[in-house]
Amino acid sequence: MTIKVDPGNNEPRALFDLADFNGQRVLEIGCGDGRLTWRYADRAGHVTAIDAFAESIARAKENIPDELKDHVEFRHIAFEDFAAKSESSTFDRAILSWSL
Amino acid sequence: MVHALEEIQHLLKPDGCLIDIHPVPKSSLINVYQGSRALFAESYPPSDGEDVRQAEAALAQVVQRRLFVIERSGEFDLTTFASSVAELREFFAKIDAYDDGPKDDALEAQRTAQYARVEEIMRAAGDGAEVAFHERGRITRMNPNVRKEELI
Repeated sequence: MTIKVDPGNNEPRALFDLADFNGQRVLEIGCGDGRLTWRYADRAGHVTAIDAFAESIARAKENIPDELKDHVEFRHIAFEDFAAKSESSTFDRAILSWSL
Repeated sequence: MVHALEEIQHLLKPDGCLIDIHPVPKSSLINVYQGSRALFAESYPPSDGEDVRQAEAALAQVVQRRLFVIERSGEFDLTTFASSVAELREFFAKIDAYDDGPKDDALEAQRTAQYARVEEIMRAAGDGAEVAFHERGRITRMNPNVRKEELI
């Protein structure tokens, strides 16, 4: 048996209850290994998922499902650096994923 | 944390939103199940919750400063299942590797003792037993507080 996290999909259900992700441009901060990213990314227009920890991002890139590769971008970068390099009013949704 | 929230407001479109997800302090439980039967249920020894308090204070501050408006919030259960205590601990060790907060040896000792009890129960139960870690998450939607004319 491998680890099963949230097999009942309670977290994505709570997420979708609060916001529509269809076609939206999403920034996920503290994405870790992409555990939550996989569960909403198929609805989004584009996802930029960042994390300051290289090992987590490496796992996320390794495990990204083929069907999500074209619109999910994982980046190993601290949020402060990402924000400094980004233009304002870019994203429709920002998710702080257990990371504030 | 407040600075990060200010930056997020800057990055969001005026009609966008921020979704914050963080744990509810002192809400975690450990269970052992065999099929649908619960063999063990106990609160997981909680940390001091300082990181969550700081996060909630930062969120309250940006709302008070009217950078964001809380639109809705709720809670949900997040459960992680493993077939052994070792597997569960290895999983959490990877997550905790990024926690740069001070280590609490007394808390670690309590948790280790609890894991030992869980392990014993699983061993006695035999095949098919699984350990479950339940935590509660709080999820909040916050909208940037923009003037109506900016949305036009």
